[in-house]
Amino acid sequence: MILHMEAGTDDRFAPARMRRTVLEMAYAGSTVHIACAFSIIELLTVLYRHHLRYPGNDPRAEGRDYLVLSKGHGVMAQYACMHELGWLGDSHIQSYFKDGTDLKGLSDSRVTGLEVTSGSLGHGFSVGVGIALGLKRKATDQKVYAIVGDGELNEGPIWEGSLVAAHHRLSNLMLIVDKNGFQAMGTTDDVLALGDLLAKFSSFGFETLEVDGHDESAIDEAIRQLWAAGPTKPKALIARTVKGKGVTFMESINLWHYTRLDPQSFTDAVSELGFPGASK
Amino acid sequence: MREAFSNALVRLALADSKVLLLTGDHGYSLFDEFRKCCPDQYINAGIAEQNMVGMAAGLARVGFRPFVYGLAAFVPIRTVEQIKLDIAHDDLPVVLLGDGAGFVYSHLGTSHQSTEDIACTRAIPQLQVLSPADRFEMTAAMDYAYGTTGPVYLRMGKADLGDVHTGPLSSVKQGRLLKIRDGRADRPGLIATGSMVRAAVDIATSLDLMVWSAPFLKPLDVDDVRAAAQAANGLVTLEEHSVLGGLGAAVTEITSEHQPTRVLRIGVPDRFSEHCGTHAYLLREHGLDTDSVRERVGAYCQLLASNSIAFV
Repeated sequence: MILHMEAGTDDRFAPARMRRTVLEMAYAGSTVHIACAFSIIELLTVLYRHHLRYPGNDPRAEGRDYLVLSKGHGVMAQYACMHELGWLGDSHIQSYFKDGTDLKGLSDSRVTGLEVTSGSLGHGFSVGVGIALGLKRKATDQKVYAIVGDGELNEGPIWEGSLVAAHHRLSNLMLIVDKNGFQAMGTTDDVLALGDLLAKFSSFGFETLEVDGHDESAIDEAIRQLWAAGPTKPKALIARTVKGKGVTFMESINLWHYTRLDPQSFTDAVSELGFPGASK
Repeated sequence: MREAFSNALVRLALADSKVLLLTGDHGYSLFDEFRKCCPDQYINAGIAEQNMVGMAAGLARVGFRPFVYGLAAFVPIRTVEQIKLDIAHDDLPVVLLGDGAGFVYSHLGTSHQSTEDIACTRAIPQLQVLSPADRFEMTAAMDYAYGTTGPVYLRMGKADLGDVHTGPLSSVKQGRLLKIRDGRADRPGLIATGSMVRAAVDIATSLDLMVWSAPFLKPLDVDDVRAAAQAANGLVTLEEHSVLGGLGAAVTEITSEHQPTRVLRIGVPDRFSEHCGTHAYLLREHGLDTDSVRERVGAYCQLLASNSIAFV
C-alpha cells in the first residue's frame, strides 16, 4: 500500500488523492460504503479547503465551524480530509477496521473531528439544527454545514428540523443534499420518490441552489452565493452527484454501496485515479 | 409537585441563562410562570419530538443546558433512539422530563400512557433515571439533574397524591434510597418509587413495615439495597410501571447478586390497559390500588412468616 502525507503541498485535498485514501482504507479494512463516500468527495474538499474554519487547525476549537455528516455512511471521505489536515495519521488509514481501533464504519462523534454519531439516518441534521440555534443565540458568526444523503431525506426528522430551521431563521445553517439518486436498495425514484427538492426546500423557507456536486469551483461559488443571500433564511444546497464518482466501474452502480475491494479491483480503481503501480 | 417542578425550573433558568426549556407543544399552563420570567429561554419545538431531542443535543454541544419536556409516552419513548445516540452516547448534559408517566392520562388510552419508560431508559448507558415521589423529592431531583454533568431522565408521574416527606430535603444523593418509615424487621420492607411511595406509606402504616423511597432508578445504590434487604425479612417493590425492567428489576438485579432475599415485585402486569376510566380506576384494573396492594402485601407477610426457607 502506498500512503503519502503531503499536507501543505498544492495537491492537498485533491479529489483523486481523497478517493485514493478512501480506497486504501476500504481495502485495508475490507469495508463497504465506498460509493457513498465517493459522491461527497468534492463537497468535502471545497468545504475543508475554502469554508470550514478551525482556529489553530484545532478540530475542537470553540470558535470552529461545524461540519455535521448526517449521512454517516460517507465517513471515509471525511476521514480522508482529516488525514490531509493531519488529524489522522497514516496508521489510522492502514489500520482501518482492525480490532481495538477508533475509526468506525459510520460517523462517531467520539472521534475528534467528527461532530455527530450518525448512520442511523435523520439524526445528524437535527443535532446540526440545535448547534445552529445555539450559535445564533450566542451571536457568533460560526456556521453549520449538515450533509445529508438524498436517501436520508426519507427520514421524518429531516422535515421536522427543516421546519424548525426556517421558523428560527437559522441563516447560519446550510443543509447540503448529496443527491446521488441512490439509496441502499435502488434509485431514490424507485424506492421513495423525492420530487422537486429545490421546490420542497424553497417552500420550507430555505434559500436554495442546485449545483454539480463534482465541480469544485461551482460548489465553492454556490456556497458563497448562499451565504450572501441574506440573514434570515437557512440555506439548502442540492448537489447533483454520482454515487461511486471517480472510478468508472463504480459509478452509478449501486452494488458499490455494499461491495468490498479485492486485489484486482483495488489496483484497477487506484490506477484509474492516476496512481499507477499501487498494488496489494 | 408540579408547582415544585415549575418553581425549580424557573429558579434554575433565572440563575443560569444557559438553561433552556424545550417543549414539544405540551405543558400549556405548567409553563406560564417560566414564559413570564424567562421568555427568551423558552422554545416550543413544535409537535416534532425526535427533532427536538436531537436539537437539544446540538444546543448542549455548544454550551447550553437544555431541559426537554414532553409526555413520557413521547419523551423518552418516542425518542429513545435520539436519547441513546444524540445525547447519552456523548454524555451531554440534557435533562429529559417525561410528564404524565404511568396512567396519568388514563382516559386517553395507550398512546398517552407510559409503563415502559424506565425499562427503556435504564438500559441506555450514561443516562441516569430519576423518579421523584413528592414535591420535596422533585425540588431535590431538579437540583440534582442541573448539578450533574451528564444526561438525566426525570420521570414525573401522578403528581397530586400528597407529600411523603415532612419537609424539604437538603439534597438527593446519587443512587441513594431515602428511608421514609421504620417498621418491623420480621416483615418485608417496601421500596417504592414515584407515585407509589404514597401508597407504600399508607399500607406500611397499617402493617408496620419499613418503607424506602427510590428517587433513583439508575444508578441504584448497591449498599442501600443490600442494607434494606438485611434490615427486613424480604422486600416488596412498588411502581406505576411495568413489572419488567423497572424498580423491581433494578432491586432484584442487586439482591440476587449481593444479598439474596425474597422480593415481591408489584407493578403493572405485562399487558396494556383494557378500559377507559379514571387514574384510580386504571390502578384497580392493574391491581395497583391501595386496597389490592395491601392485600397482596399482607398475604406476602403471611407467606414469609410461614416460609420454612429462611433468608437472612
